[in-house]
Amino acid sequence: MTKTKRANALMYIFLTIVSIISVFPIYWMAISATNKSADVLSGTLLPGTHLIDNIKNLLAAQNVGAAMVNSFKYAIILTICSLVICSLAGYGFEIYHDRGKDAVMSILLLAMMVPFVATMIPLFRMFSSAKLLNSTLGFILPTISTPFLIMMFRQSARSFPHDIIEAARIDGLNEIQIFFRMFIPTMRSTYAAAMTITFMNAWNNYLWPKVIMLDDSSFTMPMLVANLTQGYVTDYGMLMVAVLLCTLPTVIIFFLLQKSFAEGITGAVK
Amino acid sequence: MKKKFLSALLCVAMAATTVLAGCGDSNNGGSSNGGSDGGSSASGDENTLTVWCWDPAFNIYAMEEAAKLYQKDHPEVTVNVVETPWDDVQTKLTTAATSGNYDTLPDIFLMQDNAFQKNVISYPDAFTDLTDSKIDFSQFAEGKTAYSVVDGKNYGVPFDNGAVIACYRTDILEQAGYTVDDFTDITWDEYIEKGKDILAKTGKPLLSCVSGESDVITMMLQSTGASLFDDEGNPDMVDNEALKKVMETYQELIQTGVMVEVNDWDQYVGTLTNSTVAGTINGCWIMGSIQTAEDQSGNWAITNMPKMEGVDGATNYSNNGGSSWAITSNCKNIELAEDFMASTFAGSVEFYETILPKSGALATYLPAGDSEAYAEPSEFFGGDAVFAKITDFAGKVPSNNTGVYYYEARDAVGTAITNIVNGADIDSELRTAQDTVEFAMQQ
Amino acid sequence: MSQSTKPKGKKMSLNKRQNLTGWAFLTPATIMIAVMSFLPMIQAFILSLQKGKGTDLTFTGLGNYIRMFQDSVFKQSIINTFVYLIIQVPIMLILALILASMLNNKNLRGKGLFRTAIFLPCATSLVSYAIIFRSLFAVDGFVNTILIKLGILNTGYNFLGHATSAKIIIIIALVWRWTGYNMVFYLSGLQNIEYSVYEAAKIDGANPMQTFFKITVPLLKPTILLTAIMSTNGTLQLFDESVNLTAGGPVNSTITMSHYIYNVSFKYVPNFGYAAAMSFLIFILVAVLAFIQMKVGDKRD
Repeated sequence: MTKTKRANALMYIFLTIVSIISVFPIYWMAISATNKSADVLSGTLLPGTHLIDNIKNLLAAQNVGAAMVNSFKYAIILTICSLVICSLAGYGFEIYHDRGKDAVMSILLLAMMVPFVATMIPLFRMFSSAKLLNSTLGFILPTISTPFLIMMFRQSARSFPHDIIEAARIDGLNEIQIFFRMFIPTMRSTYAAAMTITFMNAWNNYLWPKVIMLDDSSFTMPMLVANLTQGYVTDYGMLMVAVLLCTLPTVIIFFLLQKSFAEGITGAVK
Repeated sequence: MKKKFLSALLCVAMAATTVLAGCGDSNNGGSSNGGSDGGSSASGDENTLTVWCWDPAFNIYAMEEAAKLYQKDHPEVTVNVVETPWDDVQTKLTTAATSGNYDTLPDIFLMQDNAFQKNVISYPDAFTDLTDSKIDFSQFAEGKTAYSVVDGKNYGVPFDNGAVIACYRTDILEQAGYTVDDFTDITWDEYIEKGKDILAKTGKPLLSCVSGESDVITMMLQSTGASLFDDEGNPDMVDNEALKKVMETYQELIQTGVMVEVNDWDQYVGTLTNSTVAGTINGCWIMGSIQTAEDQSGNWAITNMPKMEGVDGATNYSNNGGSSWAITSNCKNIELAEDFMASTFAGSVEFYETILPKSGALATYLPAGDSEAYAEPSEFFGGDAVFAKITDFAGKVPSNNTGVYYYEARDAVGTAITNIVNGADIDSELRTAQDTVEFAMQQ
Repeated sequence: MSQSTKPKGKKMSLNKRQNLTGWAFLTPATIMIAVMSFLPMIQAFILSLQKGKGTDLTFTGLGNYIRMFQDSVFKQSIINTFVYLIIQVPIMLILALILASMLNNKNLRGKGLFRTAIFLPCATSLVSYAIIFRSLFAVDGFVNTILIKLGILNTGYNFLGHATSAKIIIIIALVWRWTGYNMVFYLSGLQNIEYSVYEAAKIDGANPMQTFFKITVPLLKPTILLTAIMSTNGTLQLFDESVNLTAGGPVNSTITMSHYIYNVSFKYVPNFGYAAAMSFLIFILVAVLAFIQMKVGDKRD
């Protein structure tokens, strides 16, 4: 028993060290948000008294509210649409798999591997002529369906018990009902993970919005942060407030959803 | 559990409907970006000028003040400034031009001087030729206008000044028995001698720079009147005596410890605000960063940079950075844009007087230098009339032939100097740098 | 343990209707990918056969593809990228697996906090994390101070100023940033394994190591494959760290392929034909690696 205890203690120590290393930069970021620009550069690790000033400066310099609203709008809509479309496809690829569908899947995977810099210009031309610049649709369409998410759902559908499908068919549910009533609730942990990841990627997406958002009113948070680093003089205290604001939503969403990762498959089916 | 998920699904369905409805809206042009028709950034409205620039404390502020001034006589005109970082301006310009969608460009945008030649030559259709406009380019320092002249045609209205200044911490100089006068009109050899003395007495280097960046090199080079390119636009590095001398000086600065290298820009600014070094040499816009260290007020002084000895045409003046305004080909009302520029950035001393105190934006518009606002003493810089001084420096800067491949050349030189500092041979490194640029040019 | 992992019954032949339903399910996603990725890809390929600066383009055939192999900076960037790939991806995935299986322990206290803490790095904005990594590893930075105090170094070492150590910093930064991200997939994958399997193993007297290799790894194989392909792809397209942490330096010793492509497109005199050609090389490399990984890992057995 002492052996298990020692192993347990070691595990806690290991996890604590990893956690501290992971959190340290966030701590530094939060501390920096309370300091003056020059103090941030001297690498202080103690809280300062400039938080309010930094916030005031930021609000005066940038339209934080609008950028927040935009970022939330784009990220939430993209996450929802993307999850529905991709999980449906992932489920379809796995549950009804045959040679033809496996071949299509392999081809789709190729799309993940094209560097975005290469497709950006043709995409821009397409969106510009479709008058989709500065719009929500313009933001979400290129990444609404990603081979990665499809594959993620396909891989997890692999562990979805087929006897459930059979039982449901006998109960008279049609295929779409099986997907919505059986698959989605059962695969809650996959959805939670996919939701976190998709939201984060959408939230942090920078290169594409930077190309298609030409108007102040459609700017996103990462674009706002970029604005703060481009002048001749950078106010690092103010920058850190913005960076913190840009980081928090993803962290909060993760914290809320991470419990869903922990609940096993059996709990959901019952 | 099941119920929860069903309700979640309902939300999904509702949201999806909202999206689809929303799409319809933006297609119909009824979107929130008032005035613009879904894509175009320049306004369709004849009396509105859309402008891209990036620094709220600096060029955005200047543009907004210019708009106010212009509106006094032209109340019907509005200027819509869209804050767009320089990197984004470049990306958006490249994307728009490459895909042939010039209509996504604004009416006016600000461009880094270093990128002017490259962009005008790569995308001639994106710009408006201003040579025969009412803008009087003779009112600007020649070294400055040269950045935006391509094939003898003017494409840019010069804006901010990148004249090089040497800043020194007078309190540290004093500890070693020097004053700022000992650093005025000197040569690099004298600079290094005095720097060694200061390092020995105070432990502080005189200068810091970002390793792998070529700023110090190009500042030194331009001060001699030489460039990285010859008049035909071909790289001129291998047999460039001035460049060789510059490289040797750089190497000596590092070896003697008079100059320290740091890894990035933030650390560089840190060396200034944390009193790690006793001074710096950079474009005059560096004053803004220096002034964030409020506790050092009164301890800084400004003078000209050292001169490269033994090189023909060497001066104590150079340039680093700065930007100019471009009018795009997408501008619906070019006459208005030109008139706006001619009555503000290229014609109003009053305008430059207005923006100076708050932004520190120094004009390259020569008549502004004589105005009273420019003679105001600066408390931070020991009561010196720094603005007048810098405007004077700016008029003496030799012009720099950036060529089209300037960014390639700067990176190649940055690579060369890193190797040279680590002991590589100067001649062979310059050979490699020139090969790199020539390779980029044969496309 | 087999009933949850062996879904496919051989007797159940799918009838035509189900087959059509399957196609209907994957149609929206497939159409979107076709329009948003494959169509632009074809256009990019056509572009890769042209040369010239800006908008002044002429056909050059395979000229751009030949040019790549004469370009010393690009060759250097390929080497750098593969160094990152070979060292960083295995370290990160193994670490993520270990962390995920630790955090999957029902009796562990403070799971939520540990999980969130380890996930935090990938949510951190790049701007701040680049600044802090650079200052941590500066000559007078935190890491050097510690090493000097421990007596390992006499004077500060310029980690970002030397080729090898700069590469190591990039690898550390990548592991730091993306381990938690991969952990999410493993955690979620682990939930699809019934916990009773672990309890049974415990009763059978299996030690944690055996449980890890005999149960966790085989059952997570689909997820491991997913993360392996994703990380390979992510590393071959690596951009952020090279740009923000080291700016590709010193002397291009840390520059990645995507960073160089970006420079060629937006920093230097724009040469999109060449940039597109280099992008296709990345595409081919990732595709080949992914194909190998699929062959090794994607079997329905």
